[in-house]
Amino acid sequence: MATNDDFTARLMNDMDPDLLDFVKTKINTFIKWDLIRFFHENPNTADTAGNIARYAGRNVAAVEPELDELVESRIMEIHHLDEIPVYSLTTDESMRRLVEEFIQACEDRHFRVKAVYHIIRGMR
Amino acid sequence: MQRVRTGIKGLDEMLHGGFLPQTANLVEGAPGTGKTTLGMQFIYSGITLYNEPGIILTFEEFPQQYYHDAEAFGWDFKALEREKRLKVIMTSPEVSKLDLEQVGGMIETLANEMGARRILVDSLSHLERLTDDPVELRIIQYSFINALKREGLTAILTKESPALLGAAESEESIAFVVDSYILLRYVEIESAIHKALLVLKLRGSDHAKDIRQFEITPHGIEVQAKFEGREGIMSGSPRLSMADSFVRAFVKKEKH
Repeated sequence: MATNDDFTARLMNDMDPDLLDFVKTKINTFIKWDLIRFFHENPNTADTAGNIARYAGRNVAAVEPELDELVESRIMEIHHLDEIPVYSLTTDESMRRLVEEFIQACEDRHFRVKAVYHIIRGMR
Repeated sequence: MQRVRTGIKGLDEMLHGGFLPQTANLVEGAPGTGKTTLGMQFIYSGITLYNEPGIILTFEEFPQQYYHDAEAFGWDFKALEREKRLKVIMTSPEVSKLDLEQVGGMIETLANEMGARRILVDSLSHLERLTDDPVELRIIQYSFINALKREGLTAILTKESPALLGAAESEESIAFVVDSYILLRYVEIESAIHKALLVLKLRGSDHAKDIRQFEITPHGIEVQAKFEGREGIMSGSPRLSMADSFVRAFVKKEKH
């Protein structure tokens, strides 16, 4: 017999499969969500974790590991200038398109509710 | 002599045709005088009128702000970015300094890929946070400017002036390093604020020496006629010249 939890999960999974995977596996924290929105709006930004944290109005200790995870999931790129790590949005066109689709989808309140649900579940 | 036209009405005439190619051109002014607008117009005109792709390098203002501000003048920066004729890059002075020093850095690669000929650096004042030592700062500025020239770029570098009215007290050496120096100032005349523009220096060329009024119109900056009958414009509070004071006092009747 289907439970309320199953029903909620089905309802919350009702979105484009690519976006669902993107939310569940790549944007699994609110800081990452903020960072992705920032880099989508300012796509040619390239800077250190400390400066990016300042742009985002957050603490570098919280932002740096999130940036590293975004690099692992190929949303961001990292390169080193004199051993200083510099982060920028990926140049991969298909990933940039996925980021664009995610940001556009976020304009819909229902999508945002679903994305928030998945992030909170992922944080447990 | 070949010139890099700004496309700004009145300014090219003051510059006797425009900037010289591969030069660094400083635009200094108080907040809101129009430094960034002048720089954006230089980049936009370069792309749309003279087919010269451009880069905007910002150290503080988010690129999103440039897209928004440009839109107000009818300049679609996002479309130009899609066409790969413009890039609005945000980074910090420390990263851009290291990047320009490297072979194959981001700015060098972009400039080559786009065939960029123009750059706006907004603002050069932020290089000051790299050092407290004025000698080292001058070396950093000199090296930074030379790196832009090396890439074949003609640059507008903005510089913030702390004084809202009148001349700012400055002991900085940047004026010696750049090839041209344009001052933007607020001027108070009869309880209204006007804007003044002066070309203080243009290395290797003659230029207009008069102080002109300018306005930021819905289409960008327009440099107008010089201030007639006033003295001490750059003080921020000009007075009538002696001749005009005499005319006003004894010849013309004021209308009420």
